[in-house]
Amino acid sequence: MDITLDQICVTSEDVVARVIEDELIIVPLASGIGDMDDELYTMNETGRAIWSRLDGEKTLQSIADDLAEEFSAAPEVIEKDLLGLITELVRRKMVIVHKENAPQ
Amino acid sequence: MTHCTLLEMQDFTLWAKMKERGALLSFDLEITARCNNACRHCYINLPAADREARSKELTLQEISSIADQAVALGALWVLISGGEPLLREDFEEIYMLLKRKGLLVSVFTNATLIRDEHIVLFKKYPPRDIEITVYGATEETYERVTGCPGSFIAFTNGLNRLLDAGVKVRLKAMAIRSNFHELPAIAAFCCTHTKDYFRFDPQLHLRFDGNKERNQLIKSERLTPEEIVALEKADKDRFASLRKRCNTLINDAVAHRGCDHLFHCGLGNGSFTIGYDGTFRLCSSLWAPETIYDLRRGTLREAWEEFVPQVRDMRSTRPEYLENCCICPIVNLCLWCPAHAYLETGKLDTPIEYFCQVARARAAAIQEATPSSPVLGNAQHSA
Repeated sequence: MDITLDQICVTSEDVVARVIEDELIIVPLASGIGDMDDELYTMNETGRAIWSRLDGEKTLQSIADDLAEEFSAAPEVIEKDLLGLITELVRRKMVIVHKENAPQ
Repeated sequence: MTHCTLLEMQDFTLWAKMKERGALLSFDLEITARCNNACRHCYINLPAADREARSKELTLQEISSIADQAVALGALWVLISGGEPLLREDFEEIYMLLKRKGLLVSVFTNATLIRDEHIVLFKKYPPRDIEITVYGATEETYERVTGCPGSFIAFTNGLNRLLDAGVKVRLKAMAIRSNFHELPAIAAFCCTHTKDYFRFDPQLHLRFDGNKERNQLIKSERLTPEEIVALEKADKDRFASLRKRCNTLINDAVAHRGCDHLFHCGLGNGSFTIGYDGTFRLCSSLWAPETIYDLRRGTLREAWEEFVPQVRDMRSTRPEYLENCCICPIVNLCLWCPAHAYLETGKLDTPIEYFCQVARARAAAIQEATPSSPVLGNAQHSA
């Protein structure tokens, strides 16, 4: 699926995000999340900032704007990173695109 | 830039950080003390219909509260055990509430009660693994151990359904008098059904409830030290591992060797056990009343942060202990620990002759295979 900045995404109910020892750990709940057995995910600071904003209300553009300001980074760089991460997370079924914003 | 990293458990540097500071990693949750089998060697298998035991079991709400507290302390793994956990009518709710709190869930079961709804549940929400003990490779032996007619066919049906559904199953065995003759066949059964290395445990400890009749039965199921060593030697990988690790089975960082502390193991370091009645124990074998904390009267944080250090600091003044087990150079090869001593004698610091015999037999076998071993050189003096 092509992910675009006008879409709205939300974290899947089939994963649980936990902070342990100051690290964000994503624990898959259901089968088919990720590619292999016994896997957990962790994210770096930017990934964590993106994950926490996937509330099912903000567009990805709005999240990218927030992050560009927070990290004082060039918008085009943030947008590319954001789309790359969301594409990966959607592929792994850890994030879902809101139906009304999903490509037809 | 990589924002999201896939982690394999064994490579997770977080574990090293958590272990280093003794943080909570995992806990066992015994959701019932009841079992539909009546295995001869088992230390916790009250009858399935035992009303008193059932009335003491943690409710779903209590389990949820304890799990919340464990998660807040950082726990990532939980093992659901019993008794037989599938006896609980609310097993699926318990399982899912633990999963939804972000815990990785393993289950110990005898597999005889696996139903359609369990298969659906485990397929959709996979456990980390399901561990099943194989008591015998034939109906006769299996049911001699379980004391339950029909249990062998129920076990094989349950196991096959789990395997057919692709659920991750691990098999293991207890090596006891009643199935001793069939252990090679049990090993073959395990190896043909899973890819795991075959694991067996020959060390039986006594019952949590002190039931004298049942304890006599457990003792009658124990193999002799020579039989145990013969089994271990016959398993080349296991024996090589025993030889390699005989000096390191007890963590030096927590051992305080030669002092008067009772506990020289990793007790209460990274894990604990919750009993079916809400009792907090530092390990699954430790039942002495002075080492148990009642979570129905206090919090898990109090138990973990205040009670655990108190238990770990318990001392002995018993010469029998201080002059033997406490300084024994082959305690690493021994089943002895204060928890097992309590189950055998009602005291935490009494040597157990049978355990000494097993340790000495192991030491002799390792000595024979590795004459230069320094620990075993010392062991000669001890024995």
